[in-house]
Amino acid sequence: MAAAGIQLHPACRVRQEGFGLLFYDSRGPRLLFAETGSLLPPDFFAVARSRDELPPGLNVRQEEVLRNFMTKLLERGFLREQPLC
Amino acid sequence: MSNRFVEQGLRSPVNLTWEVSLLCNLRCSHCLSASGEAAKDELTTAEALALVEEVHQAGVFQINFGGGEPFMRPDFEQILDACHQRGIMTCISTNGTLLDAARVARLSQTRLVAIQVSLDGATSSTCDAVRGSGVFARATEAVKLLAASSIPTSINTVLTTHNASEIPAMYELAQSLGVSLRVSRFRPSGRGADNWEDLRPTPSQLLEFSDWLAKSGDVRTGDSFFSLTSQERQGLGLNLCGAAKLTCCVGPTGNMYPCAFLQTDRFLAGSLRDQSFQQIWDSSEIYESFRSLRIHSCEECTRFDQCHGGCPAVAWHLKNDLSGGDPECLERCVTSIADAAKAAA
Repeated sequence: MAAAGIQLHPACRVRQEGFGLLFYDSRGPRLLFAETGSLLPPDFFAVARSRDELPPGLNVRQEEVLRNFMTKLLERGFLREQPLC
Repeated sequence: MSNRFVEQGLRSPVNLTWEVSLLCNLRCSHCLSASGEAAKDELTTAEALALVEEVHQAGVFQINFGGGEPFMRPDFEQILDACHQRGIMTCISTNGTLLDAARVARLSQTRLVAIQVSLDGATSSTCDAVRGSGVFARATEAVKLLAASSIPTSINTVLTTHNASEIPAMYELAQSLGVSLRVSRFRPSGRGADNWEDLRPTPSQLLEFSDWLAKSGDVRTGDSFFSLTSQERQGLGLNLCGAAKLTCCVGPTGNMYPCAFLQTDRFLAGSLRDQSFQQIWDSSEIYESFRSLRIHSCEECTRFDQCHGGCPAVAWHLKNDLSGGDPECLERCVTSIADAAKAAA
């Protein structure tokens, strides 16, 4: 069985803003303003990644914050789960 | 929605209204841009395609195409393709009369397009009185074609005094056709200004619509009715005007404006023939004035946090005062009805 990964939902887009990331969901439409600064580049969401994967160079606190954030994105439908291979 | 981030200023609009042509095969009496003949010197295909690339570079998520009738432009599908190749989502506002099975099949090739077909009544007599003889039947056929495709489709209805009582029936019609309903606000611009008194909903109708909307969470408003938003719909849409903050408008000749309802010289932000899209977004004085616009006269209102003064375009067209507050907001509808009752007594 293929491992589950996460990827930006096809109906969603994300871009960098001064405060962090701006997510757009065309199904609403709705917006999500994420005060992530430069911790998470928008192209991180361009490919399917494993649930635990995060950009390198983060400290423990930042990793915890971003993991919680990823869970929130998944719950709100901005990310979706899909097989990695 | 977090106004804090919006007020800091976004690096580009979230979405863009692009009126690709004034050319239209209909002459709807409420048309916001008084469409009919093409505008003199509309953007060429090459200019339009260059704009798509600029908009992509700016990071705009979605383009909402309107007009005129967008499909009257022979190169419109080419413009759409250019958007979709870049991952830009599109939504087309059409009268539906130029949609056939072949065109719907072509548009179905992408998952990035949504279509709104305009219908202004649940019956042909109500709809055709505004849009022209036979349009209800033709538009309904287009909706059926779209409903059978993979394209997300909605019926778009402009609320007027003549169709206000038919809105629940419009909802049922949309459901029976397998599409969603979107209701838009009638504003006094274009031919809508000429026919304002004949078509404008009464305050009672607006209040009734607001109540109905509160119970109809799956009806979209786009969000042209944020000035009427009830508590029940908080969080579903905007709580402020998004012009020059979240959105803007490009007209047929490449002029940029804060929104589609303010396409006049007074509100010209710049021309894409003189400046880039990003330059105009970043440095237009008109856009800056909208970003800093505060409706102080509404700040004491209990609903201020829900609409922040409402639609400046309506305030401008009716009162010639951008900062005067929306003359048709929920609070003013209530006051107007109460005043009329007092006067009658």
